[in-house]
Formats: sequence, C-alpha cells, structure tokens
Amino acid sequence: MRNTAIIGCGQTKHSSRRRDVNVAELAAEAAEAALLDAGLSLKEVDAIVSGNMQGFGGVAQPELWLGDWIGAPGKPAIRIATGGTTGGSVGQGALYTVASGMYDVVLAVAWEKHSDSKEAGATTGLSHVAMANLFHAVNYGLSFKALIATIAVGAAAGVASYQARFYLHRSGCGIEHLDMVAAKARRNAAKNPYAHLQWPNCQPEDIAKTEMVAYPFRYGHICPASDGASAIVVAEEKTAKRLCKKPAWLLGLASYSDEENQLQSESYGGVGVIDPSEQMGCRLSAKKAYSMAGIIDPQKEIDLAEIYQPFPSQELIFSERLGLFDDGAAWRHMEKGETDINGRMPISVSGGVNATNAIGSSALQRILEAALQIMGKAGEHQVPKKVKKAIAHGWGGLTNYVTVTVLGDSPGS
Amino acid sequence: MSYIKDVRPETMMVEGNWAVGYYRYKAPRLLEEFVSGLKDKKLVGSLCLGCGKVIVPPRNICGRCHRRMEERRVVSDWGTITCFVYTPPVKRGKYVLFGLDAVEQGVFKEGEIVIPCFARFDGSDSNVATLLLNADVNKVQIGMRVKAVWAKELKGQLSDLEGVEPLEKQG
Amino acid sequence: MAKRVAIIGYAQSHHQYDLQKTREDMVFDVVREAIKNAGIMREDLGTVITASTDFLDGRTISNVFLSMAVGAYLKDESKVEEDGTNALQYAMMKLLAGAYDVALVEAHTVGWQFNPHQVSAYTLDPLVDRQLGLLNDISAAALQARMYMEKYGVSEDHLAAVSVKNLSNAALNEFAHRRMKDVSAKKVLNSKMYYEPLRELMISPISDGCAVVILAGEDKAKKICQKPVWIEGVGNCQDGYLRDRNLFGLDSLKKAAAAAYKMAGIKQPLKQLDLAEVTERYAHEELMIYEALGLADKGKGKTLIEKGVTRRNGKFPVNPSGGALGADPVCATGLVRVVEAVRQIRREAGKHQVRGAKRALAHGQFGICAQKNTVLILGGE
Repeated sequence: MRNTAIIGCGQTKHSSRRRDVNVAELAAEAAEAALLDAGLSLKEVDAIVSGNMQGFGGVAQPELWLGDWIGAPGKPAIRIATGGTTGGSVGQGALYTVASGMYDVVLAVAWEKHSDSKEAGATTGLSHVAMANLFHAVNYGLSFKALIATIAVGAAAGVASYQARFYLHRSGCGIEHLDMVAAKARRNAAKNPYAHLQWPNCQPEDIAKTEMVAYPFRYGHICPASDGASAIVVAEEKTAKRLCKKPAWLLGLASYSDEENQLQSESYGGVGVIDPSEQMGCRLSAKKAYSMAGIIDPQKEIDLAEIYQPFPSQELIFSERLGLFDDGAAWRHMEKGETDINGRMPISVSGGVNATNAIGSSALQRILEAALQIMGKAGEHQVPKKVKKAIAHGWGGLTNYVTVTVLGDSPGS
Repeated sequence: MSYIKDVRPETMMVEGNWAVGYYRYKAPRLLEEFVSGLKDKKLVGSLCLGCGKVIVPPRNICGRCHRRMEERRVVSDWGTITCFVYTPPVKRGKYVLFGLDAVEQGVFKEGEIVIPCFARFDGSDSNVATLLLNADVNKVQIGMRVKAVWAKELKGQLSDLEGVEPLEKQG
Repeated sequence: MAKRVAIIGYAQSHHQYDLQKTREDMVFDVVREAIKNAGIMREDLGTVITASTDFLDGRTISNVFLSMAVGAYLKDESKVEEDGTNALQYAMMKLLAGAYDVALVEAHTVGWQFNPHQVSAYTLDPLVDRQLGLLNDISAAALQARMYMEKYGVSEDHLAAVSVKNLSNAALNEFAHRRMKDVSAKKVLNSKMYYEPLRELMISPISDGCAVVILAGEDKAKKICQKPVWIEGVGNCQDGYLRDRNLFGLDSLKKAAAAAYKMAGIKQPLKQLDLAEVTERYAHEELMIYEALGLADKGKGKTLIEKGVTRRNGKFPVNPSGGALGADPVCATGLVRVVEAVRQIRREAGKHQVRGAKRALAHGQFGICAQKNTVLILGGE
C-alpha cells in the first residue's frame, strides 16, 4: 500500500434546519472548504468519491445532479452508501483509491440534509428499512400491541437500547454514567464551531432531568438529526509533502460486517446474535486495521479516538471493542476523566455523533476530526497532548457495519 | 475561489414526493411455517446442519456456514430473559400509531409499565423480541426463567404468541 | 502490493422478469456458483463489494440484509451504489493496495419490485425537472436519439438494425431475458411506441438478475487459477447533469475509454481488441458508443452497423451476448457484460462464442443518457 495522507478537511455548520442552502450548496460548502484547506484547485483533483443516504432526501443518486456542484463532471466518480457508516465508507473509498495507485488526489464528500424530509428525525428513510418486514409481519397478524411496544422503545433507538442494557448488566455500569458521557459530548461540542448540540458546561444532572424514553435511555441521551456535510482531500506522498506541513497519514483501515440485528432479520427471521454489544465486526475490523498499522498494544499506542456514538452507551461499548480499555472497564476510566479533552485517552472530543448527526456524513466526520487532531488544526477542541496515532470509527447498518481507520503523524512503512 | 455568489438568508421551498407505497417485495414462505406452528402452541425454528444453530423464527440462509438451513426443529416454550428494557408509566396520548391511541384502544392501561424483552427459548440459539407480561418491573432480572403466554384463541398468526411471563408469579 | 488483478471466477443468474425468488435467495445461488467456479471456499474471500441501489431495492441501506447471503459474514465488506463495474473498480483498488488478495464483487437488481424507469425520474433535479414532470430516462433518451439522428443523418432503420443484431444474439445466450430467434427489423419497427422514435424493442427490458465476479491479486491468481483473465485497464468518468452536458455524443465514455486504453496500451482499438461488450440501454446508444470508444469517427457510428462490422461473425463483434437489449438488471448489467467478456476469453461462451477472442472491452453505465461510464479492458495472457 503506497503512502497516502489526508491533506485538507472541510465541514459545514450543522444544525437541525439549514434554511440558507439547498442540499447541493450544502455539499459544495464542505467540498470548497476542504479544497481551500488543502490549497488545491478543482483542476488538480483526479477523482471524486461521494455518498449520502439517498432515501432521507428523496432524491435518487443525488450525485448525478449535484455532481456539478462538487466538481464531478469530467472526472471519475464513485458513489458509496452503506447506512450509518456511509461517511466512513466514503472516506475509506477515497483512501483506497489513492493507496492503490490508480489516482493521486481524491476528494471525498459526504452529506445529509434531514430537513428535506417531511417527517422529523430521518423517519422517512429509516422506516423504509423496516417497511418490507413491517408489511410482511402485519400480513401474518402482528398485533397492534407489539407495534406500540416497538415505537415505545423508539424507532431509531431499537436495538441500541438492548445493546446498552446488555452492557450495563455485564459491566456494572449505571445509567448515571450514560448521563456523564452525554454531558461530556455536549460540553465538547460547545468548543467545536461546526457541531449541532452545543451546551457549554453541560452537567450530568442536566441530562438526568430529561424524561426517560425506555430504560436505560433518556431523551437527553439521544443524538439529534442534523443537516450538514463534510469533505476531505486525500493525496499521495509527493503531493502531500509538497502542500501540507503536517498531513494525517493512513496507517490502516478495515470494515468488517456482522449479522444484521433489527430485533428480527429479513422477513421476521431470527437473529443468531444473542448479545448485540458483542460487535464481533468491530473487534475484527480493529484487529485488521491495527495489524496493517503495526499497532500491538492499542491501550498504549493510540493517543485519541473518534468513536461513532449516537447513544452514549456506544462510546463505552466501542471503546472496549476497539481495544482501548479492558472488557467492562470503560465506564470506570470515563468516570475518572481519562476520556476528557485533557485526559489520557481523549474520546470524541469534537462532541461526536451524540452532539452532531448528519447520518450520511457523520462517519466521515470522525475521520476528519481525527485528521484535524493530528494536523493540529482542531482549534478550541484540540487536545493538549501530542497526537501520534489516532483512530476513527464508524458504525451503522442494523448494528452490523463498522469502519475503523487508523491515522498517524508519519507514514507507516 | 468561491462560486457561491449569492447567499440568501432563507431558501425557497418546493415540494416533492416519492411513491414509497408502490414497492412490491418477495418474502419466503418461512413465516407461514412459523405461524402454523403457533396455532399448535409450537415454536418452530430452522436448524443449520453446518454449525448446529437453531434460529427462531426460522431463517433461510446461515451466513456463518454459507448454506441453506433446510431442517426444522421445534423448541421449548420455556425460556430465559436475556435482556429487557422498560418504559415509564403509560399515559394517554403518549403512544399513538396510525391515529389510534394505545390507552383508548385498550392495548395498555394508564400507568402500566411496558417491558419489551429478549427471550431465548430452550433449544434455540436466537433471541425472540417479545413482551414480558404479568411481571413486576422491580423484581425482573436478566437470566430469569419465563414461559410463553399463548392467546386464548389460537388463529395461526403472530399475535398467538402474546409474550412471555415469569415462571414464578410476581405481582 | 499487487501489480495486476485477474478475474478467477464468475457466475450470473438466468435473467428474467419476476424470478420468483427473494433477493437474498437469488444472490445466494449466484454467489455459491461463482465461488465454485473459482475453485475456492468462502473462507478464502478477503473482501466483498456489492452494488445495488436503495431506490431500486426499496430499502434504505439496500445491502443490510444481504451480508449473510453474499458470503460477507465477518468479512471486510463495502458497497457501491451504482453499476457493478464501479464495484469491480473499487475491489480492484483494494487488491492493488495490497489490503487483501481475493475479492468478491456482486451486483443485482430486482426490476420487478419497482419500475426502474420510475426510479430514474427520481434522479432528476428536484427543483425544476421533477416539478415539471416531463422527463424520465426513456423520454430523455428519446430526445437524445432525435438530436443524434437529425445531426448525423441516422434513421430508424439503423436503430432497428442494432436491435435485430442484439436480440438475435441474445437468442443464443441461455442467460438472457429477451430471446427472440425470429426477430426482424419489421417486428422492431412495429413494436409499441414509447416516446418517438424509441419503440419497445429498441429499449432494454426490465429484468431481475444478479452477477458475481471473483478477483484475485497477481500472485494468488497465478497460483490457484487455470485461466485467469487479466484486467489490463480501467477508466471511469462522470458527465455533467442532463441539461448541462453535450447530448450529441457520450463525452464521459470517451474520457473513460481513453483512460482505460492508456492503462492497457491500446492505440487502435479496432485492431488491438477482438470484441466489445457494451451496455446499450437504447438502440441509438450503441451507435454513440461506437464513436465514443473510437471504433468509428464522430457521426459515423451508423457505418459500422450498415456494413455489418459489429455482427457476431463480423470483423469486430459488439454485444455477441445480446447486450442490455437482451437483459437489463439495472445495477448488474455492467457486471454481466464483464462476465460475458470473460466467457468469451475463456472459450466458455457456448453458442455465442466469438472465435479467437483474446482481448475484450467491457462497459457499464449509469444515469440518464449514460451520464456515468466505466470501461474495462480484459485480456487473456
């Protein structure tokens, strides 16, 4: 794999309704910011990789239309979309494209404009995943009572609440720790000018005051649905060294998938995974990415992690699955402040997905934020310690997709 | 370098639509086997001859072995709670679906606590997402033994399996 | 890091309208066959790339229930949301980067679920074109056909000749959807009119289908495969939006072909290649494709069809398998072209085998009026 680096990052301000731009201009805002940051013009870009969740905006294959806004005409272009990990897959697509030697400079753009959809919170698109199953099950006499129980747990939360419950039971973690993680995310987001839910000085007590959706999730734990876009510019070694003082080098990447788990699988079939917090796909992705990066002891060698955590329980679960803490110990380390901005193992210091969730782009944002930390460009939420190796994680699908990307401050080989 | 020349404070809105309701889907016949088993108070699962896992309700393909699961097994209707969550007390107007309110339809009582759970029936290797009935939420524990609650009138449909209840009487 | 990538196995479904199977069933069967064809086991797979679209499948995250069926359980997996040839290009890049040494590429669409022509209307600009509601991919193609025909003196007879050629080729292809042994220009010109000048037999059918290709890096391919087919060149390009691009020619295909030719060292395609499998969703597109691929000069695509150069037993056969007019499972069509080209090079093409085929071109497209194009050059040595 030839040496590849991220040399420019751009993102838009995320909010629940970006009324000042349409979706094409939103994506262009991020693309333009990334090119400006990299110091390149569109002419010097060899290929474009883009993606979003097309169901949420109601436009099929949007890059065919808005490609003109992000510089696609006349260039090779690939569209990648994999659910919640869309952004991560787009970022990895761009990284592979350059690492393979086929193209030298690639622009990756991912976006989501939830406010384009009439129903709130991406319901139009998300319900589409369940739709076939729903009609099928209703045909076989699924009771109204069972349907109500499903919406009581929350359509988007769904398996995540069970996942959290397994973790709480297994590790001794309490609901107050979820409050702490959610408060930390909103406090961190206040230092990030692009984040959505900014709440300076948010405390766990503020979160604990919010209403319970279904134990163990409160309304204050749940991520928002944001409009936003993010973009990165990836380049091979010579261009990277010429244009960028401190590029973020690619060290390893992987995206293993597991069995889908939506309580039931396709056509109401059963799911062979008993514990949704096991996340074997994440373990394997981390193993592969670390071996590519030459990392033997992640607890010591990784300086920072951007974890995809729409729910605070997932920050704890995934930090263990990624090898950053021992099994069942993440909440203890978090309690001691080790995952704060000035802690030993800062996690999601940008606020993470819990504070900003434009689904198509959030996983790319994790790669982008990890890159910013290595490049030293994160501004107010830059961690004080030196960042030599950082990991960016994405999660999605029906709890079965994971992307893990390892970035570093010097080329691997 | 900016090509966005004119920034308006608010854009114009145009409406669009997308004929979501016109999709047709194919479904396997497995669910029919499952619901006809429910009529006889039997829980039917599919067995993979490669890894030996029994999945309830039945599935077509075992991804681990990459082969079809053609065998069927009946599993016990006693099982274990592997996970549960619970809602705050139900209020009128809180849970509305297709314009129908849960309390007004008599589905749940005002003040009732709904306990969706995962139950693993003895002999199977998968969770069944169902409701925990006739239980006191303060006494429920993960790992608790439960048995299936069958509808009074079995019609051969998914609502025949109303939920599970603790083996030991609770509240 | 691999220097070259080869195709070591392939399979496709028997394309038809309403395959009477679920999506997962269809994909499972074809994947099993491809794995057997390559002589490997599922455990040997390193990475899996699928191609399908949410709008056509009727499911957000269209590959989410597919992981088990496609053999990607606990394996590296990703998805491309367009034609299968782009998934193949992405898998190729993963292998060239040295991350894995065997990749499985799958593409499918179930056209029966929701009319793909309706979905193409949703790809239009939501602010103006969708509001007016006049355009869909057939009407836009008809406009393009009329523009092309008027400018270069091409007639309906030329379009009918393309249909006759491809549909009679498809009759010999056991996997094709539309197999009409006794098709004639008269039948084509009398078929139902959709948008002037495009008639039913000049438009690709709506098919259900799936295609799978297995790739391996150079060392692995030489070790385990008797007849590897090397991917010598690949090119990909996207054109501007429908209203902002040149519709008299396929500019993005020209650029993609140029990139692929450069990689493969091809300067005279007619001489250095033996056949081409292209995706022609409409009969006039094939004439425009001849020009974009450099097989004919600008505006002279019609001469190739007049002189019979591109017939199955002509000097340069194009679409001996029947092309997209024979079967069009939207996302899979480009990958089916790759499969057919591989069959030709490996002498496994059955009744529509072209003699002496050593090097072939495969082409996939996506978008209204072929907005995005991918070209692959496949060779046998």
